[in-house]
Amino acid sequence: MIVEGAVLPIDRANVDTDQIIPAHYLTGIETTGLGKHLFIGMTGGAELLAAHPHASIVVSRENFGCGSSREHAAWSLADRGFRAVVAPSFARIFFENAYNNGIAPVIVPAEEIDALLRSATLRIDLEREELVRDDGASVAFTLDPLRKQFLLSGGYMAFLASKIDAVRAWEAAR
Amino acid sequence: MPQSLFEKVWNAHVVEALPGDNALVFVDRVVAHEITTPQGALEIERRYDDRLFDPKRIVAINDHVSPAKDTETAIQAKVLRDWAKRHGIVLYDMGQNGICHVVAPERGYVEPGMTLACGDSHTCTLGAFGAFALGVGSTAQGGAMLAGCLVLQRPKVMRVNVTGRLGGGATAKDLALHVIATLGFKGGTGYVLEYAGEAIAALSMDERMTLCNMAIEAGATTGMCPPDETTFSYLRGREQQPTGDAFERKVDAWRALVADRDATYDAEIAIDVSALRPLVSWGTNPGESVPIDGTVPNDASEGSLAYMGLRPGVALRSLEIDQAFIGSCTNSRLSDLRAAADVLRGRTVSVPTIVTPGSQAVKRAAEREGLHDVFQDAGALWTHSSCGPCLGMSMGVLAPGARCVSSTNRNFPGRMGAGGRVHLASPAVVAASAVLGRLGSPDELDAAAAPAVTA
Ligand code: SF4
Repeated sequence: MIVEGAVLPIDRANVDTDQIIPAHYLTGIETTGLGKHLFIGMTGGAELLAAHPHASIVVSRENFGCGSSREHAAWSLADRGFRAVVAPSFARIFFENAYNNGIAPVIVPAEEIDALLRSATLRIDLEREELVRDDGASVAFTLDPLRKQFLLSGGYMAFLASKIDAVRAWEAAR
Repeated sequence: MPQSLFEKVWNAHVVEALPGDNALVFVDRVVAHEITTPQGALEIERRYDDRLFDPKRIVAINDHVSPAKDTETAIQAKVLRDWAKRHGIVLYDMGQNGICHVVAPERGYVEPGMTLACGDSHTCTLGAFGAFALGVGSTAQGGAMLAGCLVLQRPKVMRVNVTGRLGGGATAKDLALHVIATLGFKGGTGYVLEYAGEAIAALSMDERMTLCNMAIEAGATTGMCPPDETTFSYLRGREQQPTGDAFERKVDAWRALVADRDATYDAEIAIDVSALRPLVSWGTNPGESVPIDGTVPNDASEGSLAYMGLRPGVALRSLEIDQAFIGSCTNSRLSDLRAAADVLRGRTVSVPTIVTPGSQAVKRAAEREGLHDVFQDAGALWTHSSCGPCLGMSMGVLAPGARCVSSTNRNFPGRMGAGGRVHLASPAVVAASAVLGRLGSPDELDAAAAPAVTA
């Protein structure tokens, strides 16, 4: 599976989920339609999105997605068509949420980020675990081997549903 | 093999090893609130015949915006209410509710050795009981409700050995801020913080919850405190715990939940709290904190300075505030309210001040002690329990540029309202600041109240 598209360059660290979507917009019960609130909580966020209207890949710095566990952050990214976030590190809960919503959290060395922020587009090969900048340079990365399957074939819930009998057996023998 | 506390709990819950250091981990308890539960519950209803693994393992609490503030939040509460009713899930609703991380422990739903998941990052609070309690997304919570387990990457374990005794006005909140300042805002990422040492043993359960509450603010998966007599006596007689011999048998089993002497850790840090003094945050993450009598650091990040309207070298004590808030899952339990009341008794606040108890049970207990009179006599607003101003979602939202001293856990940009500036501190410091109208500590009040000496 190839993710290819324009980059939304967010040149800052610690982009927390309150910046991705403030609590004010968490009043729904559905996972769809949240894209219109994306990055409203980030200083300059709306302007940045407007300047990159077709972006489908976020590039940012350390600790992306820290703070609140709200999956709304992943839902709002997915709703705007984002398929990957490239950063040197992620907060755990966002990292899990991204995988569960078809967004690849791509971890690359911190020293690669400057060049990636300058690359207007990226081509990310999820199977081969390699991304290519617009100047042709490539960077290798590693995906979680289990969660990669959730990206490629969908379905965290489906995976867990397939485990119910095994879990019941384990619980009975506990 | 000697094991850490975390390893004992983890190993007892692994159903199956999965590729890539992942495991299928059994979940003993799911705590469900109205903001993050409906999405997973609806998915299960639509795709999996509305089947739940075991409704008895779930406890539901309407907490974030309760009572509802508008039609949308009313629908969230109703979805949770209807779903709980349909499945026979216990629900704490208006009148008996409060913040889930306060209600679940006070009713006895959390115990040593348990695994617990909730769609809320501050679920780490409950690690105070020696449980492995962690915040997850709505899909993961849904998975735990559907299949009784989570897919988790095995975290590393960091032992945080805390020695000395808290004194000099420093509280568990100050210790929590100090740990984050020591590790850095993301320094705990990938780790469980396993607390140990004499200073932890001396903490009450309320204080341990305050400490563990902020483990996520260092990026940690969760925090854990070793269960001991303090834990057992807190749980004895709680609504969801058995009584008599049945309870004592549980205690006997819980006594084994301590780290083995030779347990090894992926990392260890040592903290001595003897010299710890009250801290206050100056920036836009909880790691950006300094002693209350300190100044904004010279190497402060430009983004934080700009957002907070500050310059390096500015004394925290010189900062005038527009609002004060005492509440949230960090500091809204009875002992927190007592600490704030001790400061406010016989004094008057000089800025709008909101005091929000963590649960209706805390509210009732506080009122039996007359704390509500202390707060209201001081001119503060005494509210029903809820998350309230903590997340800028319902009451008490800050105006852009307004500066608020708050007993909460997050000072992120926009957290308590777009453009609002949040300074994190302990309840006593918040109360003192509310009186002073600027950031300040209780020890300044007596000096301020002393009659001016005239010649
Ligand atoms: S009090 Fe604040 S931090 Fe705690 S659960 Fe509520 S919104 Fe989250």
